[in-house]
Amino acid sequence: MSLDKLLDLVNSYGSFLLNGLLISFYLTASSYLIGFALGVLISISRAYGPGFVKALCQAFVELTRGTPMLIQLFLIYYVLPRVDLALDPLPAAIIAIGLNSAAYQSEYLRASMSSISYSQWEAALSIGLTKLQAIREVILPQSIRIAIPTLANELIYLFKYSSVAYFITVPELIYVSKFIGSRTFLYIEVYSIIAVIYVAFSIAATEAFKFIERKTSIPGLRISARL
Amino acid sequence: MNGFLTYVPVILMGVWNTLILSTAGFLLATLLGLLMAFIEVFSPKPISITVDWVTRVLRGVPLLLALLLVFYGLPRVGIALPNIASAIIGITIVDSGYQAQLFRGAIEGVGERQLEAAYSIGLSKWAAFRYIIAPQAFRAALPGWLNEFTIVLKDSSIAYAIGVTELFTQAVHVAQVVLDYLQPLILVSIVYFSICYPLSIISERARRKLLAMGVAAV
Amino acid sequence: MKVVLEVSNLWKFFGKSPVLRGVSFSVREGEAKVILGPSGAGKSTLLRCINLLIKPDRGSIILDGEEVTAPGVNVARVRSKIGFVFQHFNLFNHLTALENVMLGLIKVKGMNRDDAFKVARESLLSVGISEDLWSKYPAQLSGGQQQRVAIARAIAMSPRLVLFDEPTSALDPELIWEVLRVMEKMSKERMTMIVVTHELGFAMKVADEVVFMDSGAIVERGPPEEVILRPRNERVRRFMERMQYVYSLK
Repeated sequence: MSLDKLLDLVNSYGSFLLNGLLISFYLTASSYLIGFALGVLISISRAYGPGFVKALCQAFVELTRGTPMLIQLFLIYYVLPRVDLALDPLPAAIIAIGLNSAAYQSEYLRASMSSISYSQWEAALSIGLTKLQAIREVILPQSIRIAIPTLANELIYLFKYSSVAYFITVPELIYVSKFIGSRTFLYIEVYSIIAVIYVAFSIAATEAFKFIERKTSIPGLRISARL
Repeated sequence: MNGFLTYVPVILMGVWNTLILSTAGFLLATLLGLLMAFIEVFSPKPISITVDWVTRVLRGVPLLLALLLVFYGLPRVGIALPNIASAIIGITIVDSGYQAQLFRGAIEGVGERQLEAAYSIGLSKWAAFRYIIAPQAFRAALPGWLNEFTIVLKDSSIAYAIGVTELFTQAVHVAQVVLDYLQPLILVSIVYFSICYPLSIISERARRKLLAMGVAAV
Repeated sequence: MKVVLEVSNLWKFFGKSPVLRGVSFSVREGEAKVILGPSGAGKSTLLRCINLLIKPDRGSIILDGEEVTAPGVNVARVRSKIGFVFQHFNLFNHLTALENVMLGLIKVKGMNRDDAFKVARESLLSVGISEDLWSKYPAQLSGGQQQRVAIARAIAMSPRLVLFDEPTSALDPELIWEVLRVMEKMSKERMTMIVVTHELGFAMKVADEVVFMDSGAIVERGPPEEVILRPRNERVRRFMERMQYVYSLK
């Protein structure tokens, strides 16, 4: 594969690739936010909710974590239309990946919540905060801070996993690459280019998050080894 | 039942390929991951850093893309392999990056003090590794290692992209014949779940047990 | 003088075993009451019952004439009127010293940030936490400093009464005095307080009344010189002999 060929490829199809990248970003960001919001809700419900809500949340989390994301994606894209809920590929992918991520993010938050000692809860109540205030002002901020490394990791994971949206024809990076490949028969060249893109973003994001984590870290607030 | 039941055996035949695919890919990734972890921990800095970057690159590639690269790439250099072999190679490559990270964390997690104590009673470098570091690192890595297998098992469904006739592929093919996705997908979900869920419980138990023993799992 | 707190016939069971068996006492405005006793006597449980962190099984607690153990009472409002100082400080780990004191003022008392800051500043200065420490996180402070911030957090709410649960037990010996000094000052300023502690010297100096608890009940009470130096009860005498060996009092 000569350099000329590669440059040619980028020249003629660069805008396709850029669009694919933007869709991948959009997909990742939206499903991550859905996953975070639901993840917070689920982790709180599992810690403080009434019994049946706890059970419901646990069932959702275990079922989601116990099955491939691909199945969840296909269920939402191919089965929901049967109950008159036909979604376009992109929203279907956002919802499927978002729900999947919610299960994982709720687990990360649950782990960090359980590492916060009961005395923080007692102290919050002792100054007169209500339970809801104690969760919002004391427990949740600490849990999120502690979970930042794993939550950041999840975002990078999602960026890579967002590629499964390819299977339901969302025009993300891999989908447009396949399209370009089918036009030019330069499959390997295109795939190599986007491999570089994925790797570059993953590594850059990892470094960026490490930096942010260092900058925003609070002394004494991290997952204690719990020994 | 629109004929779905007659197709159940067809779908379940995919279980074997799923198991072969994920087990082979996973175990090969373990070998490769261990090798890279050892190099990262025990070799001189330039080599260690190079290998560290290799693992970072491997972790940066989506499995789907790795499969496509292997599947379309090998024939280009004159190697023709069955789909399932390409899938195993793809899984091995990507997962070895993650496992290297896991094992490295486990070895480094044992810590300087244990090593100091080992040297203090006169153990050689090798003996210290063999009798002090390795047993602890092995335990610390165990829960994460089991968990990693469930990830590989679930992700092996992505081999659908290159036409490997594993569980998920079979389900989709049957779905297209019986014109119903729900039943085939539920069926394969049950299969995946009945393997992953027990494993995740075992992993969690091991994690807790190790914690009680004073070993923080990676 | 006005009675601030009245505890009558308080019972608490953990499972089947009683931790409190019919404890009764009252606290007058400006009084400093010190509770002594061996560990497991129920002292800590008693304080937590008063602050409604634990629900007593029987008996009543009356704060400023209001029965706070009655059903339907707004628990958070009651707690905001009672300060609590914990053995392990329990500062909020994600907040700075200043924010720790301001949180309750803003969220519970509904103050704006400016007013909350003014109040927090006064409290922090009154416990000797100077401005250079206000932006520090708990993990960056010494134990003595953390406990003084915790006291500031309690008194900033202008409580009717402050409960201290072994406030110096988790401190290094040379840091104990800075906390005790603050508590002594509070008492001189007529803050109503109940202090569970093993610091006999502090009890001698500050307590208006000493209460000795054992196995969930009050076994002796009176002026500190009486209870500490001339106890009548056999159990209390043995306890005091041991304590006096440790502290070489007399």
